[in-house]
Amino acid sequence: MPDYEIQELMICRIAAEMTAEGEHITLMGSFTPLAYAAYMLGKLTHASDAWLAGYNAVGMPAIELSFTGAEPAAYKAATSRASFTENGHLFHLGTRGLLECVSSAQIDGTTAINLSAIGPYDRPKVRLPGGAGAPEVVQNYRKLVAYFSKHDRRTLVPVVDFATGRRTPVGREQRDALGMATNGPVLIVTPLAVLRKDDDEAPFAIESAHPGVDPETIVAQTGFELTVPTQVPTTTEPTGAQLALLRERIDPRGTARFDFLSGAERMSYLEQILDAEWRRAEALVAGSAEVAS
Amino acid sequence: MTLDKTTSLEQLPDLVPPQATVALGGAWFANHPMAAVRELIRAGRDDVHAVALLGSIDVDLLIGAGALSRLTFGMVTLEAFGLSVNLRHAVQEGRLPIAEIPALSLQVALEAGGRSVPFLPLRGPVGSDLVALHPEVFGTATSSFGEEAMIVRALRPDVAIVHALRCDSAGNAQFDGTYGQDPELAKAADRVIVTCEEIVDRAEIAREPHMTKIPGFLVDAVIEAPFGAHPCSHVPRYGLDAWTIHSYQEAALAGGETYAAHVEQLRSESESEYRERVIGEHRGRVLEALVEAAVVLEEE
Repeated sequence: MPDYEIQELMICRIAAEMTAEGEHITLMGSFTPLAYAAYMLGKLTHASDAWLAGYNAVGMPAIELSFTGAEPAAYKAATSRASFTENGHLFHLGTRGLLECVSSAQIDGTTAINLSAIGPYDRPKVRLPGGAGAPEVVQNYRKLVAYFSKHDRRTLVPVVDFATGRRTPVGREQRDALGMATNGPVLIVTPLAVLRKDDDEAPFAIESAHPGVDPETIVAQTGFELTVPTQVPTTTEPTGAQLALLRERIDPRGTARFDFLSGAERMSYLEQILDAEWRRAEALVAGSAEVAS
Repeated sequence: MTLDKTTSLEQLPDLVPPQATVALGGAWFANHPMAAVRELIRAGRDDVHAVALLGSIDVDLLIGAGALSRLTFGMVTLEAFGLSVNLRHAVQEGRLPIAEIPALSLQVALEAGGRSVPFLPLRGPVGSDLVALHPEVFGTATSSFGEEAMIVRALRPDVAIVHALRCDSAGNAQFDGTYGQDPELAKAADRVIVTCEEIVDRAEIAREPHMTKIPGFLVDAVIEAPFGAHPCSHVPRYGLDAWTIHSYQEAALAGGETYAAHVEQLRSESESEYRERVIGEHRGRVLEALVEAAVVLEEE
């Protein structure tokens, strides 16, 4: 088994949720490298016919991850473009969304995510960005993956400080009864484990523990109740081919590592990546100047 | 046709009435009307109620410069560069009243405004605490056929400001790359201000009418503002100036005199002086080259 970093394992697990389902489409949303990497890995391996959309663009092949390049790449390769209003009705609200990956400050055992405020909503300790379209999307997409760069009781909490959004109901039968065709699972993917909820009445269960992580650690680090199966499976590790695709083609600068760094390390890492992106564009300017002269 | 709606960027603040609700175009780091944002700040405005679907540096700068009296938004973030520092401070200190509305619901509320209907139904954010928090926006309606649906009430901003690729003097505004919900903002608002990379002849607009996303009859003012989305992207013309965003965020994080000096610098210069100072010829070419540099992975 090749060496890999934990975010690469998480990307591969999430990529498994990318499936080619002609009537559903996956929206890339704001540039969240780990989620983008999973979408692209799915597209370049088992789900080449999966539909992708991003920004105002619809129907593109996989793109390389880059802070300045994701939007223009999505633009250049798309087969159609439409206003957010049209796309919002068609995909998000029209229940044609396949896979939504969210990363929030907090999540609890009811699937509530908090992207709004830590502390009291009116005078918060930390005012967070807001959920964008997540409150509607977590309800209306077929599959929901919440991923986190940390697995601890401050992130996986007993009750969120504020529910920016929540999938309700979660159970397939209850959703069917309400005419919601979007009845896939809710997964939580963290550096320790994959958790899964299929039923409103039952807590999240450990779907798998990552290699070397024991179930007791997962339970101790989770603020809400977990069902622990008698035999806890081990999360599948990335293959050499997946790692090669991620490192050489999808994310050659390692933008997906970004969320797993903290503070000063994170900023200097960002600066390194941006330097490389600048040099690549500047080389094109120099190249065209040479051609002109 | 002699209709001429062109004016200068300096006139823009006069077109925004006192205490106006102003919907700002663009999304994430794409295509916010930044030249207009800077001009509102230059005019010393402190009374704007901004409506931002997916805001970033546009909203952060307006808050930091004290230009906002209120904010209605779906999200405001500087993404990889961090949280919106000025939003954090203003809300945490209770200085800025906010209405946080889930973005797709906000989109539909604006769409309803543009359609001149009182509300529209949607598969809305059931389960979100924001629904109960905003009874002035969210409700339910039952059709005469018996179906019940969540509804959002129409929102009609006083002003919409959007940044287009090109526009003619009658206000026919063309977009190519990322344009968010700009057309629906224009349809919803009483007054529509279009800034654009370039003002062109009607004949040029008429050559590619499918690119006209805002028909001129909706538009009140047309302003030429090259690099008018900078430091945000205006794909395919130029990419995101991530380096300028990064240094902006460093100033915001430093706060105090450092950030005040940043705002003061913007106030002390005209938009063309801003372009000369911050963008210049070489940087402008590199920002344009970012679009070509972006890599599409062909399927194997």
